[in-house]
Amino acid sequence: MADAIGIAREGKAPAKARLAGAAGPRRPGGGRGRSRLFARQGVVAVGFTLPFLIIFALTMLAPIGYAIYTSLFTTKLIGGTAFSGFANYSQVLTTGWFWSGLARVAVFAAIQVPVTLFLAFFFASLFDLGVIRLGGFFRALYFVPFAVPTVVAAIMWSFLLVPQYGTYTRLVSLLGFPGTNFFSGHLIVGTIVLIVIWEVTGYNMVIFYAALKAVPREVVESAIIDGASLRTIITRVKLPMVRPAVVMLCVLNLIGALQLFTEPSIVSSFQPGAVSFGFTPMIYIYNTAIGDGEYNLAAAAAVIFALVIAAASVGWLVTVKRKGTIR
Amino acid sequence: MQRFTRKHRLRAGLAALAVTAAIGAAACGSSPTSSSAAASPVGTSQAASGSCKPGAVKLTFWAWAVGYNLVVNEFNKTHPGICVVLDDVGGGNAEYVKLSEALKSGNGIPDVAEVEYIELPSLEITHSLVNLVPYGIDSYKSQIVPSSWAEVSQGSAVYAMPGDIGPLGFYYDTRELAKYHLTPPSTWAQFATEAATLHKDDPSAYLADFPAADGEWLLALMQEFGAFPFQYSGGSDVTVDFTGPTEMAFASYWQNLLKARLVNTTADFTAPFWNDLDNGSDASWLMAAWGPGYMAPDIKKTMGDWKAAPIPQLNAGGHLEGSWGGSTTSVIKGTQHPAQAAEFAEWFFGNMTSWTIHAGPVGQAFPGYTPLLDSSSFRDSTILLSGSTKSQQVYAAQAANITSVQWPPFMQEVLTDAPTAFAGVVNGSETMQQALQQLQKTVTSYATAQGFTVRT
Repeated sequence: MADAIGIAREGKAPAKARLAGAAGPRRPGGGRGRSRLFARQGVVAVGFTLPFLIIFALTMLAPIGYAIYTSLFTTKLIGGTAFSGFANYSQVLTTGWFWSGLARVAVFAAIQVPVTLFLAFFFASLFDLGVIRLGGFFRALYFVPFAVPTVVAAIMWSFLLVPQYGTYTRLVSLLGFPGTNFFSGHLIVGTIVLIVIWEVTGYNMVIFYAALKAVPREVVESAIIDGASLRTIITRVKLPMVRPAVVMLCVLNLIGALQLFTEPSIVSSFQPGAVSFGFTPMIYIYNTAIGDGEYNLAAAAAVIFALVIAAASVGWLVTVKRKGTIR
Repeated sequence: MQRFTRKHRLRAGLAALAVTAAIGAAACGSSPTSSSAAASPVGTSQAASGSCKPGAVKLTFWAWAVGYNLVVNEFNKTHPGICVVLDDVGGGNAEYVKLSEALKSGNGIPDVAEVEYIELPSLEITHSLVNLVPYGIDSYKSQIVPSSWAEVSQGSAVYAMPGDIGPLGFYYDTRELAKYHLTPPSTWAQFATEAATLHKDDPSAYLADFPAADGEWLLALMQEFGAFPFQYSGGSDVTVDFTGPTEMAFASYWQNLLKARLVNTTADFTAPFWNDLDNGSDASWLMAAWGPGYMAPDIKKTMGDWKAAPIPQLNAGGHLEGSWGGSTTSVIKGTQHPAQAAEFAEWFFGNMTSWTIHAGPVGQAFPGYTPLLDSSSFRDSTILLSGSTKSQQVYAAQAANITSVQWPPFMQEVLTDAPTAFAGVVNGSETMQQALQQLQKTVTSYATAQGFTVRT
């Protein structure tokens, strides 16, 4: 072991010498030579990242800036466009719709994210244990729902759950619950949770599977030698080692859940009135912009909502930080 | 990194195959049944842009209604100098949203668009329509029902060519009504008692459906109760009154029926709705004359059993007639060819050739064009759904009674907010009166915020 450390140390030293040598042969003003090298490296770096920066600026920064700009004005059918400062922001914050929508996606996320991660980790563990025959085929199969575009998935599910005549509706009424309306007020959030879990579990499972495969075998083997049960191995050995994946997927799923839009939007064309004007913040923004034609108000709502999502993500990451790192 | 062994290649191949199969199945999966009035397929025009004759003026026509493609083909055949390309960008509100976005951005604006009467004021207030008076539209005035002409005119300008109208009627299944020994009700009071009789006899059946979330339908029905809530004649003054005495009377009438569960609440233009009509759950449909075109494709068991009767009245002997929907063709400002666009827009609804197709077996549109409306060939025509009965006579007799209404210039907003306001009515958690009050608040605050002077 000590040898290994020694070798590592030696390995570093020649590298350092090489770097100094690369600055060129010593000449008067060697300092300037080094900064010229860094300057050249800087230009090259900028040159490589410039295409990305241009596209990023055009497709992300410019629209965000325009949205903020738009949100400071108000356009009226009678009277045209005028500067209105933060009037749109205060209108959004005092509208019931924004807050009720936010509460709804918070509840939705509180259910959907843990269930998705639990199911994904469960399946990934099963596959990692190697007890499933044709494991690769089934992994691909479980991933397929994620490959289906969300609009298509929502339409498929809506047809299956249509009141009275949908396949699953009829199945459920045979099982003893006639007249179930999956799009009714008290069932619709659960229905959408179901659809979204179906859509994203496969994706989460694939990520967990990759993370589990990266767990060193020696650690698992030593746990087995120590006599740990399967449950202990999975929950006390493997799960902590995939913590980075858990944290990352939590954030991704949380952001996706807060931005819920496609599924309620599709369901509302199957049952008008099932999804209210401000069912989720994104639906509120869409209806305000496209349905009401109030683009300025919608821009303010979008800015506020983006800040909410950013706060939620940062807040979550800060909460799970340990010893200054997210590990 | 694991080597890409044969085993891994096989797995990867299977995975790719599974994914492709799923995508393919998903793409071909959904059937093209109407799930809303908006979803009726138009069919592509024969004159796809590739087959336009060189030198012909190319016009883009946004429209969704059934059968319009046939009329467009006829126009292109008889007008070789103009080539109209039909584009179905969605029905009703979906198209108006895209139209207002196109106008805002100045890009992708069509030359001609199908615009319902309800949407004309919204486009007029933003000066998005071309006045057709300089293009000879006044010559059609005597051939159009008066209520339609009033709704396309503003002052001395005429902004659209009136097309079809939607006089309301009581469209019932003759076998169902006979089963319960009922006759088509002539008053709303009679409607209520018949609804009670029918539902008591068969708790799984209803006299009619009350799809409260369909804002356009509700506003048409309100006309039958003299309870239309809007007044607007241009400018910045608008009257919005969902909570006046006639409106509240309308609300309490229907709330009583809803509370006693005497009417169904299925959303209209959905698969369950058509099935309800076909299997006897709904004995009738309070619909407009153009209804059969949407209904027929989903009717199997009751084809030929349906008959039209005049819509019930508030008072015996009354003649209140509302109109539901109805489209016009208008020329959109920004078109590069206003003269040709106007010629097409006016021809589309202005002669017997085009109207024969509109009112034919595919379109089944109800004409606002009096030469056809008053003709015996039209009034005596039959449709498969109605067997040998002449339903057009019922509607044609009412067409002259249609009162023109004044739509406000923000119907997109009203129709976006209506489903939310009435969702509680559909599932029983809210009364009609409460829903109307909620809608009143939403619409008046929107109108005030938009700078209108709102009178209630």
